[in-house]
Amino acid sequence: MKLRGNGRRIHDPGRGLFIFLCMIPAFAFLAIFLYYPIEETFRFSLTRTAGLGEEVYVGLDNYLKLFANEEFRAGLLHVFTWAFWSIVIQLPLAFLIAFSLSYYVNRFTKPLKAIFYLSNVLPSAITAMLGKFIFAPKYGIVASIAGALHWDWLASIDFLGNPDLAFWAVFAIATWAYTGFPIIYLMARIEQIPKEIREAAELDGASAWRYAWHVVLPDLGYPFRILAVLCTVGSLKLFDLPNMMTTGGPGNATVTLGITLYRHGFVNWNYGKAAAIGVIIFLLSLVFTILQLSLGRKKGESL
Amino acid sequence: MSRKAPHVRYGLPEVLITVFLVVLALTVILPLVLPFLFVFKTQLEFAYHPWSLPKEIRWSNFAAAWKAVRIDQGLLNTLIVSLGAIACTIPPAALAGYVSARYRSKVTELLFYAILVGYFVPAQMVLVPLYRMEVTFKLADTLHGLFLPMAAFGIPFWTLIYRSFFRGLPAELMEAARIDGAGHGSTFFRIMLPLANPATVLAILLVFVGAWSDYLLSLVLLTNQNNFTMQLRVASFLNSYGTDRMPKYAAAAIISAAPTVILYIIGHRWVIKGTIAGAVKE
Repeated sequence: MKLRGNGRRIHDPGRGLFIFLCMIPAFAFLAIFLYYPIEETFRFSLTRTAGLGEEVYVGLDNYLKLFANEEFRAGLLHVFTWAFWSIVIQLPLAFLIAFSLSYYVNRFTKPLKAIFYLSNVLPSAITAMLGKFIFAPKYGIVASIAGALHWDWLASIDFLGNPDLAFWAVFAIATWAYTGFPIIYLMARIEQIPKEIREAAELDGASAWRYAWHVVLPDLGYPFRILAVLCTVGSLKLFDLPNMMTTGGPGNATVTLGITLYRHGFVNWNYGKAAAIGVIIFLLSLVFTILQLSLGRKKGESL
Repeated sequence: MSRKAPHVRYGLPEVLITVFLVVLALTVILPLVLPFLFVFKTQLEFAYHPWSLPKEIRWSNFAAAWKAVRIDQGLLNTLIVSLGAIACTIPPAALAGYVSARYRSKVTELLFYAILVGYFVPAQMVLVPLYRMEVTFKLADTLHGLFLPMAAFGIPFWTLIYRSFFRGLPAELMEAARIDGAGHGSTFFRIMLPLANPATVLAILLVFVGAWSDYLLSLVLLTNQNNFTMQLRVASFLNSYGTDRMPKYAAAAIISAAPTVILYIIGHRWVIKGTIAGAVKE
C-alpha cells in the first residue's frame, strides 16, 4: 500500500467517496438555509410584491426609496454612530481592564476575568430587562440612587423615553454587556508577550504605564483591528437590545438597520425593501471588514 | 532582590488597581443580583420598598410567572430548539472540518472556503427569503423550522474550529490507523473523532448557550404563542407590562437565564477559550 504524506493514498477509490459523503451534510444545510436565501435576497431586493404575491421587477427602486426614507437614514446614522463610539469607548476601556488584569496577576485575576465575561453570555432578553430596569423612571436604579441623594433633576429623567438620551442609555447597557469579549480577547493576546520582554522593561525601570504604552500597545495592532471590525459588523447587525429596550423609539431615536429591516419585512410585509436593507447590511459589513483589516496593516504582516 | 518574586508582597499600585477592578466587577454582578431582591416580594411590597431586603421568602411569584408566561412550555420549546441545534450543527461541522483538515487538496480547500463564506453572512441578510421559504415548506412556526436554519448559521464557524483542531492532531495517528487497514470512515469515527472530544464539548456548550439565548430568529420564525421560546416569552412579557410587574418578571427572567449562567459558571474556562479561538482564527 502506498501512502503519500498526510494519509493521502494513490489509487484509493474510497477516498473521493468519503470526502463527498463528509461534505454532503454541511452543504445540504448551507445550500437550503444560506446560499439559496442569499441569492433570493439579491433578487427580492430588485422586486416589489404587488397584489396576490406577484413579484414585479423594479430595478434599484427599493434602494432609492430607502435612501429617501427618514427612518432608514436614522438607522444608518445610528449604526455608524454606535460603531464609532463602541470603538472609541469600549475598546480603550477593555484594554485598560485587560492590561491591569494581566499585569498584576494575583488571586483575584481568574475570578475577575470570568466575571467580566459573564454579562456576554446572558440572553439579550435578560440584558434588555436589566437595562430597562436600570433606567426606569421613579423606581429604576439610577432614579433610586438619585432620589436617595436628593438629586431630583436626575431622578425625574426618563432616559429611555427621551429622544436625546435613549440612544446613549441603550449604548451604556451594551457597553456593560459586551465589553467582556474585548477584555478576554486582549488578555489572551497580552499573555502571549514573552515574559522576558516585561522583565527587561522592568530592569530598565519602566513603569507599568510606560510598559503598557511602549511595549504592549504596539503589539496589539492586529487584535485591535479585529475588534474594530467586530464592533462595526456588530453595529450593522444590532437589533436585540434596542428592539427590546425601546423598540427603536422614541420616534426614530434608537432605530438601527436591523430594526428597519424587521419593520419593513415583518411588520409592513414589504419584502423588497427588507431584502434591500439585508443586502446593504451585507455589503457594508463586507466593505468595512476589508477596509479595517487592510488599513494600517504593516507590509509583510500576514492576516 | 524583590525582582525575583515580585508578587510575594502586593505593592500599592497593585492593591489600588485590584480594588478598582473588583469594584468594576461588582457593577457587572450587581444587576444580576437585583432580580433576587424583587422576586420574593408582592407587587405592593415592591411598589413601596423596591430596594429593601425581602421580608419573607415567597415563592408565589414563581408560581404566578410559571402560569402567566407558561414557563413549562417555554422551557420545553427552548430545550428542543437547543438540542436540535446541537444535533444538526455539530455532526456536519465535524465531518466537513475533518475532511478539510486531513484530506487537503485544491478541491477540499475550495469546499472549505465555500463553507466559510457563511461565517461572514449576517443572519439579517437572509431573514426575508428564509421566512418565505419556511412558509412555503410549512417549516415556519415550528421548532425544527427554527433550529435547522440556526444550525446552518452555526456550521461555518464550527467547521473552522474542527478543522483547526484536526490539523493540530499528529498525522502519524491517522496513517497508522490506515496502515492497520481501517477504512476512511472507521478511522474517523473510532480514532479521530474521540480525540476531538475537547472541541466537541466546547461546541455542545456554546451551541447550546447560543440557541438558548436566540432572539431575532425566533422572533421572525415563530408566531404561535404555544411555540414561543423562553426568550420570546420574557421579551413579550417585558413589552406588555414594562417593568411594572417586576417581581413576577424577575421570576421569569431568573428561570430563563439560569441554564446559560449555570453552564457558564461550570464551564467558563472552556467558553472563554473557545470564544477567543474563534476570533483569533480569522
